[in-house]
Amino acid sequence: MENIEQMLSLDWDIPKKPYPAKVITLSTGSKMVVREIQREEVPRLLDAIRPLVTVAADYYDIVSARMYAELLGWYRYRVRNEYCLVGIVDGELAGIVNNRLYDNKTCISYHTMALKRGGRVGAHLFAAKQEHAIENYGVDQILVTAESPIGFNRWMVEWNLEPRPGVQHELGGAAAYALTKEGYALRKSKLVFGERPVPNDLNEQALNFKVVPPDMAKDTRT
Amino acid sequence: MPREVAIIGAGMAQFGNRTDKTLMGLFKEAATRAIDHARLGDVPISALYVSTMLAGELTNQTATASALADELCIIPAAADRVENGPASGGSAVKNAYLSIAAGFADIVLVVGGEKMREVPGDKITDLIATMTHPTAEYIHGVTLPSLAAMFTRLYMNKYGVERKHLSMIAVKNHDNALLNPYAHIHRKITLEGIYSSPEAEVNNPIIADPLRLFDMCPVSDGAASVVLCAADIAKKFTDKPVIVAGVGQATDIHAIPQRPDPTTLNAVKNSAQQAFKMAKLTPKDMDFAELHDAFTILEISESEDAGFFEKGTAHKAVEEGITLLSGKFPINPSGGLKARGHPVGATGVAQVAELTWQLRGEAGERQVKGAKKGFCCNFGGFGNNVVSFVLRREN
Amino acid sequence: MATNQMIGAKCAKCHAVYYPKRDCCPICRSIELEETDMGDSGELITYTELWAVPKGISHMPLILGIVQFSNGGRVLGQISAKEVKVGMLLKPVWAVVRKVQEKEVYGFKFEPI
Repeated sequence: MENIEQMLSLDWDIPKKPYPAKVITLSTGSKMVVREIQREEVPRLLDAIRPLVTVAADYYDIVSARMYAELLGWYRYRVRNEYCLVGIVDGELAGIVNNRLYDNKTCISYHTMALKRGGRVGAHLFAAKQEHAIENYGVDQILVTAESPIGFNRWMVEWNLEPRPGVQHELGGAAAYALTKEGYALRKSKLVFGERPVPNDLNEQALNFKVVPPDMAKDTRT
Repeated sequence: MPREVAIIGAGMAQFGNRTDKTLMGLFKEAATRAIDHARLGDVPISALYVSTMLAGELTNQTATASALADELCIIPAAADRVENGPASGGSAVKNAYLSIAAGFADIVLVVGGEKMREVPGDKITDLIATMTHPTAEYIHGVTLPSLAAMFTRLYMNKYGVERKHLSMIAVKNHDNALLNPYAHIHRKITLEGIYSSPEAEVNNPIIADPLRLFDMCPVSDGAASVVLCAADIAKKFTDKPVIVAGVGQATDIHAIPQRPDPTTLNAVKNSAQQAFKMAKLTPKDMDFAELHDAFTILEISESEDAGFFEKGTAHKAVEEGITLLSGKFPINPSGGLKARGHPVGATGVAQVAELTWQLRGEAGERQVKGAKKGFCCNFGGFGNNVVSFVLRREN
Repeated sequence: MATNQMIGAKCAKCHAVYYPKRDCCPICRSIELEETDMGDSGELITYTELWAVPKGISHMPLILGIVQFSNGGRVLGQISAKEVKVGMLLKPVWAVVRKVQEKEVYGFKFEPI
């Protein structure tokens, strides 16, 4: 029994690197703290994501169901090398992003979910999780796929991702695209932002963030 | 001798993403509010003008005025649908004015509306682009944002307008709309968030260089309505009639490159001059204006060509805060097209509704202090057909 | 029609030049317009890089600009150039400008000289 548990239980098999938290200014003037979450915070995120699993609009159901599974897998030591960043605005959870390092050369981009809409929260968080993989882990490429057309436009087009026909993404859907470290360097100045370090008061709020019902009903697109 | 015409009521259906109602439903929502505001009671409406640019294409319904006359139970009122692109609303109000001035009708209802959000964004962009010149513009892949962008670059190079000025207008209009319960966008933005921070590159991305996301009005559903009547019977309905003092309309060369000076909006100039002349007033007499800011640059250029600022100087007025709600000459106290929203057929009527509320002192928290005279202009195509109004409180 | 000559119309009365051709002058109202060769080069007076491109356009961004010719005529068209600057000299080139319902449509584009 013990041997099987040891075999099935995984955490990190490459050196873990910290993500230094940063602050991003949104269009509303609000400040969003972006920080990495620890494993023990996962249950709070699962609580936040669970209600969206049945919301079909804008692909929330599929993204939240899969992100829920990914985070739960990490929490229960069944997925290795996964990391998760969150965005906190005014002390409230605004968005969640996650990735998994296949090895120290390749990262698999998992999901991006904005709980507060209309402020490009998702765009900033997507950039942050890729920043972590390229700049802190030093991977050569990140494999990205998309479930929604909006996601596709945002990432494949804005980041000028390279198509990798014939390469299956771990999520098993549309063909993979790659963000290489060269591609990242070219696009970084237009897409990756934030100031470090995070001021103390914002840090406090970010550590003890509140989870509020996501603004699904409101159409906050400009 | 044409009769004097007054506005005795105004109403709006909330602009935004109106999945809750059909186009007819939105028309009715606005019309019912305007009729209530006008306290018409049992008095019959003699004519109806319905303004919608894309009802046929977007909601598969044509002859919308005839349909609405029945839907509102105002038959046998005369009814016409009016189409003048984004200036449909202004044209509808103008036609209502003419029908009363000529003695054809006594009490006229104008309703403008559009349901634009049910179709994908690229389809809307293309439908709107069909207003442009078919062979000189459209065929090359022109969209309205691209025309506005080329216009903006010319303006920036010729007059020194900067991105900062455009962003200041967006911030102002968003702030004003926060005080407007009928506005589409209720979202504060800051100059830091959309302009001065490095993050602004992501927050306010380029759509058609040099124009960005926050330089462009949203795609909206909604409707607006006003009730007009002969001025000499207005007092039966309200002690605050608003007089339609001046009306103007003018066309301009269709294709922008063919205009002798592409940075001058001659249709705005001519229609504004006509309206001021009819009203026997000047731009200096106005207390505020509602302008057609489908793109932020248009608030600047229209304010100049309508006569409120010397050509090439309006951006300085923006910098000095003159056009803020609290400023010397508020522009777009409603939030403008940028934040009130732009259901295409509704906008011109919404401008007249806003002027009506402001002149009656009923604009709530966004009230322009001491508003007695106001101007609005409704911009069709890319400025090749403009309808202008000068409205004032009755003495 | 394979041609690289851009033929516009010039108003005999006020000398305004138009491309595409038209049969009346909106500035002076004359109906006397004669064909005129726009020439081989013009100056870019404004442009935009459009990221929200319409259907039927295959590349992103779409660069559109207005080119001014020495006869005073101004023409809007797509710019095929890696770098675009106001004031650059361009020549008109007859090419496919877009697809409309899968059919190729030809028109004049502009390329650097």
